[in-house]
Amino acid sequence: MITQFACYDPRRWWADLVSVWQDTRLIVVTAQIAAIYAAILIPFKAGIPLIPGFVELRPANAIPIVASLLFGPAAAWGAGIGNIIGDCFGTLGPASVFGFLGNFLFGYLPYLMWGNLGWLSSGQPPVVQSWRQGFEYGLICVVASSVCAGIIGWGVELLGLLPFVVLAPAIFFNNIVMSLLLGPPLLMFLYPRVQRWHLRYEDIRSSFVAQGNLRLSEKPSFVGHELSPGIADARTHGSLLDCKHLSFYYPGQQNPALNNLSFSIGPGEMVMLLGRSGSGKSTFCYACNGLIPHMIAGELTGSLQVCGENTRVSPVWKRADRVGLVFQDFETQLVGTSMEAELLHPLEYRQPPLSFDDIKRRVSSALSSVGLEPCLDRDPMTMSGGQRQRLVIASVLVQEPQLLILDEPSSDLDPVTRMQLRQTLRQLRDAGMALLMSEQDHDDLQFADRVILLDEGRLVWEGSPDALRRDPHAMRNRGIRPLALTECFEELVCEPLPLTIDEAVACAEKMNLIISPPAAVLDDTIRLGEPASLWGSQMDPFVRIEDACFQYADRPILRNINCFIYPGEFLALLGANGSGKSTCARLLNGLLAPVEGRVLIDGLDTRTTSMNELVKRVGLVFQNPDHQIFADTVWEEVAFGARNLGCSQEEVAGRVHESLVAVGLPVEESAGLDPFSLRKGERQRVAVASILATRPAMLIFDEPTTGLDAEETDRMMAMIRDLNRKGHTIVMITHSMRLVAEHAQRCLLMKDGQIVADGPPREIFQDSALVQTASLEIPLLSQFSQRWGYTLLTVNEVKASLKPNVR
Amino acid sequence: MNVSLYLNHETWVHRLDGRTKTLVVLGFFGLALCFSHPTYLLGILALVVGGLVAAQAGMNVKKIWVLATLLVCYSMMLWPFFVEGETPVPIFHVLGVTWEGCVFGFGMGVRLLIMVLGGVWLLSTTTIEELAQASQELGMPARGGFAFSLAFRWVGILMGAGVGVIQAQRSRGLDISSGTIVERIRKYVPLVVPLIGHALRQTNLLAMALESKGFHPTAQRSFHRTGKMKRTDWVVMVVVGLLLGVSCWMRWHGIGTLDVRF
Repeated sequence: MITQFACYDPRRWWADLVSVWQDTRLIVVTAQIAAIYAAILIPFKAGIPLIPGFVELRPANAIPIVASLLFGPAAAWGAGIGNIIGDCFGTLGPASVFGFLGNFLFGYLPYLMWGNLGWLSSGQPPVVQSWRQGFEYGLICVVASSVCAGIIGWGVELLGLLPFVVLAPAIFFNNIVMSLLLGPPLLMFLYPRVQRWHLRYEDIRSSFVAQGNLRLSEKPSFVGHELSPGIADARTHGSLLDCKHLSFYYPGQQNPALNNLSFSIGPGEMVMLLGRSGSGKSTFCYACNGLIPHMIAGELTGSLQVCGENTRVSPVWKRADRVGLVFQDFETQLVGTSMEAELLHPLEYRQPPLSFDDIKRRVSSALSSVGLEPCLDRDPMTMSGGQRQRLVIASVLVQEPQLLILDEPSSDLDPVTRMQLRQTLRQLRDAGMALLMSEQDHDDLQFADRVILLDEGRLVWEGSPDALRRDPHAMRNRGIRPLALTECFEELVCEPLPLTIDEAVACAEKMNLIISPPAAVLDDTIRLGEPASLWGSQMDPFVRIEDACFQYADRPILRNINCFIYPGEFLALLGANGSGKSTCARLLNGLLAPVEGRVLIDGLDTRTTSMNELVKRVGLVFQNPDHQIFADTVWEEVAFGARNLGCSQEEVAGRVHESLVAVGLPVEESAGLDPFSLRKGERQRVAVASILATRPAMLIFDEPTTGLDAEETDRMMAMIRDLNRKGHTIVMITHSMRLVAEHAQRCLLMKDGQIVADGPPREIFQDSALVQTASLEIPLLSQFSQRWGYTLLTVNEVKASLKPNVR
Repeated sequence: MNVSLYLNHETWVHRLDGRTKTLVVLGFFGLALCFSHPTYLLGILALVVGGLVAAQAGMNVKKIWVLATLLVCYSMMLWPFFVEGETPVPIFHVLGVTWEGCVFGFGMGVRLLIMVLGGVWLLSTTTIEELAQASQELGMPARGGFAFSLAFRWVGILMGAGVGVIQAQRSRGLDISSGTIVERIRKYVPLVVPLIGHALRQTNLLAMALESKGFHPTAQRSFHRTGKMKRTDWVVMVVVGLLLGVSCWMRWHGIGTLDVRF
């Protein structure tokens, strides 16, 4: 809710402009506003040119005013820089100076004026909720737009490029129209959220001042990066990380995010931090390099010594040479436009500066550690996800830290890229580096030396990975999915429980068991709840893809795709990163049209049918729900799709109700529930509900479980299964072979833009060589059952098939 | 999504120091401002085009030629209406259009083209990091240069996210090409909000990631790229400097300028 507003003190105008460049967060906000401004300038052209090439009606022109009222002087700098970046796409010249100045004032005047217009001011926060606020906003728009247009128009005429009387009115019109039409709804949405995220200029500035005071009151134990002898001694001989009774509370939270943690990590040790979402893993990672308490506010008690120094003592940036952190969202850490820039950036802030030879050695060593080719000119955005992640790790390794922390590094990676990451980490460990890696599933457990299990911020289990893996009960209780192979033998008297295929085979032999599946296994009744013969392949296909090809520019993405999808099917689209799965999904709902061949949805050719007609038949749920959520409430968000189809109010209400019930979200509370306040799994449900409100017969899910823990994944999959049972045809893109094995009736295996296999999972998984060619691996469970000549897919199937060997 | 105009070629222009290229492009702008007569401006345009050929930047010229043509046409078409002269143009003379105005408009169009192509020359041969380094070495504040390069990096990410946002909203039936202008503008709210929300949710994370890698506004930055002023840099700067000096002298003496009234 919008609660408070303190108007700006005009005497601070210069101090505020300077203060932007003294705090990292304000510099980031400045860069973000510049990037948003430039990014919206380019792909969001309304196609309404006022003076082609000079002025076009674009939504970007509302950004400086909106940003100004939220971020003050950071918006002024951001608008100016953003305009220059926009010019860098073809119109950079002397006029850019006037463009910078005009946009700078366009982004600063609203902040200076709001609340300072005497009796004309509303005295309220900068959102348009009353006529007085509307009047104040309008007045500010007129003044700021005029000044911006005047400066640019004058400057451009001064350079002799275009007459003032032509350009200035066009710029004014553009600014005023966009500011008046787009500004109020943007502010209504953004102001309360920016306030809640503590990102308003006033909030950042006050935390910066508080932090500055904290820093001033501290006596740094050392200057720059030179270590005192005592610290160097601790680095050499002691544990690298030592926490004692460490607790942390986020502001306003009753429950601790970290609760009395005590453990240590030594050099050359790889420790896995395991736990469900919200268990405190990321919080602990942030505490390790001092982000808590230096950049994340809260109450920290106990002690945390990292590399021989208390994390409270020196700020984060001074510890970068000893503690490296790879964030879960690793893309955020990329700051350069080339590999070289990315790797050199951290080294350029070292004091005293490093020698050229030392830099060369570090870059070369970091690249070879992560197995990247030294193509230093390459733009990181042209690399695959796995390569980008390795580049981020390399950019941390160039600092030669003693402790490397990785926060859920493999959540977005396909199996082959995960394997490459594991190898990299093992090599680093073998080279003597200590590693702390947080994860929410067991996939990488066997590569750790030790496991620490967190739950609600407490350390609930500590020991060897094998000991934990042989205890499915403990894993399940803490929200971690047990190993499927181990679960199969859990109820049998088998000690110890098997971890590998060989151990499982030995266990079965010891107990005189064989795999002999009953008919209910082979016809999928046990796995899917109904025999395979009931599926709808006898009906007419709902989707026909005939010889479809697609390419971006000259790069072929899909080649000769042929396939039918039948009503009521649950189809999995499998393949490594970059194999063409997502492009194929976009062909299925008409977002992309094939360059050759055709796609028929319910008999309609996607090339000639309007998007609104296709939306009624096929709904695509994107991987990232945040790419679509924009409304103030869950109800409004879900209603969006139905409204776009022209439904009446009653019809919209009915569809929203029905969709919310289908995804298990509360109907009554939805009218007052802010979608941005929900967890990712719940936001994903909102996205699904908003698609369901268009009542499509087929739903496509693009990686629906990415970033979700075991419990959230189960809930998501139960919902998708339920929708399938209610008659929706489901297409699910995934690289989780477990999900395919448990839920899919049929799968399409894609490689290099082609379908290399099409059939039921049991049939596809029989050919492990084929699956491996698509950079995937069949589940251990299936590999185990194949020792007896059967391909089983789920724990329940194996349990039902384990029979005494009577021969 | 790659948004930079930089072309990774091995030419002698690419090998010039960032400072040289920045000063040369400022020199181009200065040369263009010295003259208003099309003949002289066409000479400077030939110089810039020569620079583009040497830099093998044809691909970028191809990218912006529509925009550049529009800019030049607008300048050529609009100025004649605002410049007084003595020789009326048949048919258009009732609108006050004269030959002098047309010549001036053509000159301004060429000036605009020089500036646009000069910018393309710089951006085709210089990476964003090199530009940031050069601007710092030429006395611009380092933090501003850093924010510029960081923002540039983010434009690509946001444009990629923007494509995702457009697709997600189109998948829910949003049709931005229908309706009145006001309705169409209003339809941008579902496109712009997720994009801004996406960026702002990353603010704290990005700031933390930067400090985790050793960045701080008060930390001194020392560039480690190998760019050093070489003999070619000095030769190029002297040539452009001389040209600029001569052009200023010509301007001072009224050579190469049109005497027009507005």
